[in-house]
Amino acid sequence: MKVVVAPEHSFASGTRRIVTVAGRSIGVFRMGDRFYGVRNRCPHQGGPLCLGRVLGDAVAEVPGAAEVSESVLLLACPWHGWEYDLETGQSFMGGTEPGVRSYGVGLEPGGVLSAELHAARTERVPGPYLAETFDVFVEDQYVVLET
Amino acid sequence: MIGAVDLSAEDRTEGEPLVRLVDSDVHAQPMPATLMPYLSVDARRYLERYGRRTHNDMHAYPRARGAGTRLDAWPAQPGAPPGGDPELLRSQLLDEWGVDYAVLQVLNALDCYDPADIAVELPRAINDWLTQAWLEFDDRLRAAIVVPHEYAHLAVREIERRAPDPRFVAVLMPANAQELLGSERYWPIYEAASAHRLPIMFHTGGFIRNLGAGPPSYYIASHVNTSPAMQTQLVSMVASGLFQALTNVRIVVTECGVSWVTALRWAMDSAWELMGPDHPRLERRPSEYIHDHVWFTTQPVEEPAEPQHLLYAIEQAQLADRLLFATDYPHWDFDSPTQALPRAMDAKLRAAIMHGNALELFGLRPVRSQPSPLATP
Amino acid sequence: MDVLLPYLSDYWRQYLEGAMIGLHGLIDAYPPGAPTSASERARSFPAPAVPSGYPALRERVLDEADAELIVLNCLTALEAHRNPYYAAALATAVNDWVRDEFLSRDERLRASIALSIAVPDDAVAEIERRADDPRWVQVLLPVRSELPWGHPSHHAIFAAAERHGLAIGLHAWGRPGQAPTPNGFTSTYFEDYLANQAVAQSQLVSLVCEGVFERYPDLRVVLIECGFAWLAPLLWRFDKDWKGIWREVPWVKQLPSEYVYRHVRATTGPAHLPREPRAIRQLLETIDVGRLLAYASDYPHDHGGGLPRLLSELDNERRDAVLTTNAAALYNRARPDRSPDRDGVSAP
Repeated sequence: MKVVVAPEHSFASGTRRIVTVAGRSIGVFRMGDRFYGVRNRCPHQGGPLCLGRVLGDAVAEVPGAAEVSESVLLLACPWHGWEYDLETGQSFMGGTEPGVRSYGVGLEPGGVLSAELHAARTERVPGPYLAETFDVFVEDQYVVLET
Repeated sequence: MIGAVDLSAEDRTEGEPLVRLVDSDVHAQPMPATLMPYLSVDARRYLERYGRRTHNDMHAYPRARGAGTRLDAWPAQPGAPPGGDPELLRSQLLDEWGVDYAVLQVLNALDCYDPADIAVELPRAINDWLTQAWLEFDDRLRAAIVVPHEYAHLAVREIERRAPDPRFVAVLMPANAQELLGSERYWPIYEAASAHRLPIMFHTGGFIRNLGAGPPSYYIASHVNTSPAMQTQLVSMVASGLFQALTNVRIVVTECGVSWVTALRWAMDSAWELMGPDHPRLERRPSEYIHDHVWFTTQPVEEPAEPQHLLYAIEQAQLADRLLFATDYPHWDFDSPTQALPRAMDAKLRAAIMHGNALELFGLRPVRSQPSPLATP
Repeated sequence: MDVLLPYLSDYWRQYLEGAMIGLHGLIDAYPPGAPTSASERARSFPAPAVPSGYPALRERVLDEADAELIVLNCLTALEAHRNPYYAAALATAVNDWVRDEFLSRDERLRASIALSIAVPDDAVAEIERRADDPRWVQVLLPVRSELPWGHPSHHAIFAAAERHGLAIGLHAWGRPGQAPTPNGFTSTYFEDYLANQAVAQSQLVSLVCEGVFERYPDLRVVLIECGFAWLAPLLWRFDKDWKGIWREVPWVKQLPSEYVYRHVRATTGPAHLPREPRAIRQLLETIDVGRLLAYASDYPHDHGGGLPRLLSELDNERRDAVLTTNAAALYNRARPDRSPDRDGVSAP
């Protein structure tokens, strides 16, 4: 199902909208010229994930030498702060637990994003928690969400 | 699923809904100016000029996000902190989750190091504010009595003042104070509370020296360390003979998690077997004292990768009738009433934790006199 | 004390004698009359219970021991005197004495290097002084400290230990002038005794949070006489908090439990365990003792009979690991591969 979210020109970069589609609350984000859609429900305890902060990664080669890296955008749940790749919904909380549930990840033009690629981008071990993500794109000057 | 406690027919009036959810740890937070009207002129002047000379460690350990709060719990009113708006707390906690009773803990005086004149006024101001702004606002709210705990005689006076109001259901103490909590300097407080059948809730925070291993460098470390710190406090209470001397005292370890109790009981019992006869205040096995006198709020409940392991810990520590569910709203490590506990937990245990144990401990009616506006299934 | 005097300079000899300093090896921690200070068997020999010479060690321990290697820990220097120069001189004297009295007399013996930590340079110098002698296998530190062990001010010690393949041993007790609990001094021995396991928990948290195992990826830390049954709940709490607060310590790149299982071991005492086999079996589901534990007799101390109950629940492979191979890996002084683990399996 395709849902019109807003005219593209009125959706500023760095902002977000929460929409409800068929009973599901979904957060739509614009960062630069890219759009992201994430289920507004943290896989951990069900918090309103899309109300959280979006930050780049924080990396530190040695203790104390911490830097921000924009290689990935991470959405942090406003409750416990668990973080998910805005693009894929992948969490990076370490561990090699079995039973990772994989949802259908929205295809972007040009390829399929995999957990391994994201691990390479962030040097983190993909974790078992996965936020549900959706395709968001611009069509006829409107921001469209596909569920 | 939140199950319900079985009740006999006599306990409820026709149509009264059963209590299903008691939240034993919720925080109301006054705005900076809120308490001033409740204080004397002298106290107000002193505080305005000098502030509180306190030694909590919140400045040393900035809380991870939003000053330690859920980011969605900030009221619209400028300057109002999470927990500062009764309307928001009612809608976001009580109504949204179907909370039947919530026990409010105001932590502003937990680090009591004020001079006596301030120390006597500030808790009184907090309790007055709690009564007028909260207990009068929604009949689902209850509160722990804030006391100037480093001045035991003044604390006893405050307990006596509030005890006649049945909406005060506990006495609030910190998990960290100037002396170990088993110290006899605090016993008059425990005695006064117990005389009124009020449990004493020892809440994370307070006057923290960080001895033992020394002060950690990070909030995350200090947060994890609340667990071993409370372990030493329980040892102190057992060793002091408190539970032997005050046979009706009931305490609640609050906001420290639960699964560490198991190994601590084993360690205390082993030590008691080795050296108990030499310690006259340890007549009984320590785990018996713990079981008879100590309750625990669940939050922040540990979430092992294998949920069954949490159930082992509960079973081994005999906690089935000692756990009290708590959300800790509006703090960041909020436990969801529907998501935080393992799904595999059986309905009877869940019901005890979600409301049964708290009803019994706090002496609350197992039925609501009014239905909650919105009860979640 | 007499045995150490020859190893001290004239100045420090006069200092000791003048102040009538008695070196009792942590008398606060192990008061001679306390049941935990010495087993019945240890008490059957003439006092002091702690062997103060090789003949006593051989008679009381070695002749009975079915061990290939025995690691000696002399706790005298854990008293951490405030005079930093005395502390350094004492540590050097203790190590010289242990070398001459024990290590040189029996090939089965290994030992931990006593240190003064008051001046980190002195600690590193003492490590360097001993490093070429393969009979030193560990650096001995008290589990109680004024700044947690992970703090950057301690890192030079870890660097030196890692450089030479020495384990870091955090031993119960130490620093008698320091309060044992976060909130102050205890009054009973019961409380003081039980404080060690709480301090050990905080020290583990510190080591991980400060990135010690990222900075020193070959470092191994041993919790000695601090217990272990408390570990799983601590790691559940720690892992969960890290998931939400990792940004404060972004150099902690993995779950805390992964660092702990890879880098930390614990000796088998005190084995404060339940009696019911079912409870022990449940405990064994929550911690991987086959990776974690290294057997220690802890002679002459006595912490009760928990260990046999644990061992009886283990299969042969895990029992061998606990009794032999874990300690062998820990103390082999060779610079291990990146993962000192046997098999690199992640934490349960």
